[in-house]
Amino acid sequence: MNRMRRVGRAVREGPVIWHVARYVAAIAILLLAWWVASEIVEAVKGRAFLPNPIRAISEMTRLGPTLFRNFWTSAWRLVMAMLIAFGLGYPLGLLIGHERKLDQLISPMIYIIYPIPQVAFILILFLIFGLGNAVKVAIVATALFFQILVSARGAARQIELEHITSVLAAGASRWQVYWHVVLPATLPSILTSLRVSVGLGMAFLYIAETTGAFDPRRGGLGSFIDSNIYAGAQAFAGIMAMALLGLSLYILIEVLERVVCRWKHVSRRGS
Amino acid sequence: MIDIRDVVIQYGRGERAVLAVDDISLHVEPGASLALIGPSGCGKTTLLFAVAGLIHPCEGEIEIGGESVTGPRSEIALILQNAGLLPWKTVWQNANLSLSLGKEYPAKTAASVLEELGLAGVKPRFPTELSEGMKRRVGIARALSMSPSVMLMDEPLASLDTLTKERIQDLFLQLWLQRRFAQVLVTHDIEEAAFLGQRIAVLTERPARVKAVVENPGVGDLSYRETEAFVGIVARLREALEEEQG
Repeated sequence: MNRMRRVGRAVREGPVIWHVARYVAAIAILLLAWWVASEIVEAVKGRAFLPNPIRAISEMTRLGPTLFRNFWTSAWRLVMAMLIAFGLGYPLGLLIGHERKLDQLISPMIYIIYPIPQVAFILILFLIFGLGNAVKVAIVATALFFQILVSARGAARQIELEHITSVLAAGASRWQVYWHVVLPATLPSILTSLRVSVGLGMAFLYIAETTGAFDPRRGGLGSFIDSNIYAGAQAFAGIMAMALLGLSLYILIEVLERVVCRWKHVSRRGS
Repeated sequence: MIDIRDVVIQYGRGERAVLAVDDISLHVEPGASLALIGPSGCGKTTLLFAVAGLIHPCEGEIEIGGESVTGPRSEIALILQNAGLLPWKTVWQNANLSLSLGKEYPAKTAASVLEELGLAGVKPRFPTELSEGMKRRVGIARALSMSPSVMLMDEPLASLDTLTKERIQDLFLQLWLQRRFAQVLVTHDIEEAAFLGQRIAVLTERPARVKAVVENPGVGDLSYRETEAFVGIVARLREALEEEQG
């Protein structure tokens, strides 16, 4: 009985306040580690190559409006790219994961293209979309599309046959099987994949925002960091803003997951 | 009511073809109960799925109520192993699944069935929050919400502890006596077959053929387990299965 209670407790989620406290503690530890590292670099090299967090935070405050404008530019690009990649990759991944014949037709093509570094497509994307916002969104969306597509395909192939049999026996049509089984069964994996794609998306966003030196609409945190790369504290203010953007998206996806996959977060019965 | 005539079911084609069911003919009258028992993997579930309209026989025919079975039908309910509940749906949504798919089922609602099975209090819960016994009850509620004239069950009580299993077997018996649907139970549990099947077809190793049909007229009383007739039927079934498995 005690063991059952322990199992029950182990899988139960803690209250939100603890969740927030963990993030606050993590930020505090990272800032402390950063401060120690900057002190060490200064002691060894004799110069403050790595600005300490207090200087970076004060730069963030000083550059507030500029940084805020660039933050929103980057956030908009990243969110748009994630939505496009999700909107195209998720349904296609589910279809090829669930429909055997479609899988045999399309999967070989995807697995040929998937391992090619998406950075290799940047030039082509610039030629297609020109300079401006569209190409930056397209670069990030292309990278995330394959990630989400492959995850969705894998998740659709893992669905338990019993669940499909269950709705088919109840008289479900093909589309009702998607709505009642394929979609909800794959959502947790896809949201995990989306969480992973925040990091990948940030990396590609940086590349997209720092490529195209003559682009009149560069903007964004990548461009901000790139322009201030030799002004240490300012660049680090941009890096902190980028971390904040990533964290905000992680939290957003986490909240979304708790809402749409509520069944994953209920306490399990021990037996 | 249920007519299974010369049914042959094969998986795959060519050299990879596997014969699962070989020339089985069985009949179940309206309100009667048939149990199919046989070794694991012999093809009994395949035959049940064919009756449910989920698999099409290569040869032979299955008719329910005089109409050929070509796909799932509203009067046929299927209870799967582990209840087949969808973990992302609440108890209420699971019980109401058939109705929510928009088919025209008779008016008996999932709500009254849940009430009847003592599940009204757990309607907003998810399956992971329930005990195994309760999950099976929700599976039963889902099937009953269709007010079926045919109830098909694929090892519905597998992996339950003995007492829970017997309690749910009693529930199955009571529901069958009240509602009098035609019932086909697939099981590898000899006592379960003897407690719930008026006729028990013993199937061979794959491909499934009917090895013997045991008549079991004593079915229908909750105290049947304690009778000599029950013990005798169990012994006959055990003998037939032991012969089959060598």
